[in-house]
Amino acid sequence: MNRFEIFKNGITKENPILVQQVGMCATLAITTSLLNGIGMGIAVIAVLTGSNIVISALRKFIPDEVRIPAFIIVIAAFTTMIDLLMHAYTFELYKALGVFIPLIVVNCIILARAEAFASKNSIVDSIIDGLGMGVGYLVAMILLSGIREILGNGTILGFRILPEAYEPMMMAVQPPGAFILLGLLIGVVNYLSRRKKA
Amino acid sequence: MKNNFIKLAGVLLIIGAVASGVLAWLNDATKERIAMNEAMASMDPAILEAVMPGSVMFNEHEDTDLIEKIKSENEKFINLFTAVDASGNELGKVVRTWSTVKGFNGDMELYVGFTPDGQISGATVISHQETEGLGSRVTLPDFTNQFIGRDGTAVIGESDYDAIAGATMSSKSFLSGINNAIAVYAEYVK
Amino acid sequence: MELVSLFITSFLVNNIIFMQFLGVCPFLGVSKKIDTAAGMGIAVIFVIALASVITYIIHHAVLVNLELEYLQTIVFILIIAALVQFVEMFLKKSAPGLYQALGIFLPLITTNCAVLGVAINNIIFEYSFVESLVYSIATSAGFMLAIVLFAGVRDKVDYADLPESLKGSAISLVTAGLMSIAFLGFAGLQL
Repeated sequence: MNRFEIFKNGITKENPILVQQVGMCATLAITTSLLNGIGMGIAVIAVLTGSNIVISALRKFIPDEVRIPAFIIVIAAFTTMIDLLMHAYTFELYKALGVFIPLIVVNCIILARAEAFASKNSIVDSIIDGLGMGVGYLVAMILLSGIREILGNGTILGFRILPEAYEPMMMAVQPPGAFILLGLLIGVVNYLSRRKKA
Repeated sequence: MKNNFIKLAGVLLIIGAVASGVLAWLNDATKERIAMNEAMASMDPAILEAVMPGSVMFNEHEDTDLIEKIKSENEKFINLFTAVDASGNELGKVVRTWSTVKGFNGDMELYVGFTPDGQISGATVISHQETEGLGSRVTLPDFTNQFIGRDGTAVIGESDYDAIAGATMSSKSFLSGINNAIAVYAEYVK
Repeated sequence: MELVSLFITSFLVNNIIFMQFLGVCPFLGVSKKIDTAAGMGIAVIFVIALASVITYIIHHAVLVNLELEYLQTIVFILIIAALVQFVEMFLKKSAPGLYQALGIFLPLITTNCAVLGVAINNIIFEYSFVESLVYSIATSAGFMLAIVLFAGVRDKVDYADLPESLKGSAISLVTAGLMSIAFLGFAGLQL
């Protein structure tokens, strides 16, 4: 695959949330506002790309038998870095995302990319893969949190979109709404991709 | 076999050590900002807003020598702060002081805010021991709002403000507190 | 009794899957057979309980005293990974049937948000040792409840006539959402 295709892959064909369906805990929990969704998406891009770079750079150095623990240490280190940086510089977002920031380390997508791609490809290719998957994650987060914020709050990024008279669909920003809306979103994506194949 | 094990453990230890090193450095670099963020979060926003509208934090005034000087010369003075907004801009000064005249049940503690051009931006009671429902009404905005905008360098006379009906002692105590803050501000800060 | 209240709250009211969203990935992929789901649930309870105890002790005895709290994420996840390895080896020897049935899901317990999430929450909520033990057992029991219920429901869902696009995770999520509404009902539980 050429570099552009590697990038595109993460957004469309192998979108981590909408197609591969991994790393969903954070997706469901924090997508109550678009700002949170974007914040989390960017944090994941940072950790994913960072760990991809390091793991790819060290791929000849890490013996096969200990690769999983080695990957975990690297990913956990990047997660902690993002955690510290957010605690210091984006405090409001840090409080909003809460425990899900350290939980980035168990986001299956990062370990999966380390194992499936970064440990077997060049640094530049790994950066592109990381960015692609990360952006795919971000896109899915934007979709879901955008929908949830509009339906559940009538706002986007805090700006009122729907008229004051709109009765917010409380369910959208509560747990059941998260499950149902994500399910429907995946259903729509399935439908669109099947139509494309036909 | 043994060599292999040592190699495997060695690789993990090296990676772990490097990771820990980087994190230790970053932890140190962000320590201050994080402490500041946490401190800001613990300060009651209602008090911040009532004393200096738009402020997010009261930072202790940098000139600690001045603070020591004031403490040695003014018995009831507690501390001097700089009020900052979310971008870190200075909004004004805040004096924390005890009242100099006892209220009905004891002294009360106040924050009094001063704008750069010397006006009172707001005042609140932090703690008191007055009668609930009567003297405690010195904590209400209805009472404290009357001081906003007044000249922060002029002591307020007993006939120049509206005391709380039926709670003269508490009102006088509050007045003494705000006047002490004014005295400190006029003499040491302005 | 505060501990009882903590148990019920963590088990039902704040159910880890339906309210906190931790552990959703294995939840969706878990088998439709109730006994496999139950086996998975028990394995998870064991891992979470043990992981909570160990991480709690390491955090309070080591990390805090050495001012190394920033290493929490790395240390916790490595402890969990090691723990899961041991559980795997243990099951392989003593319950090979379950080991086979769980397959890939067993090592995946390492990346189960619920395990790390509970370990971290024990620290954030500043629980005492006993409280953290109650919290982790109750929470993981809630996980088991959720996946067993879900296994039962998924069986029936398979017989439903669904549009092609909704099959698979899509309908699983919608179903989980409906179950979540049911669990919302516990929010009124006054303890």
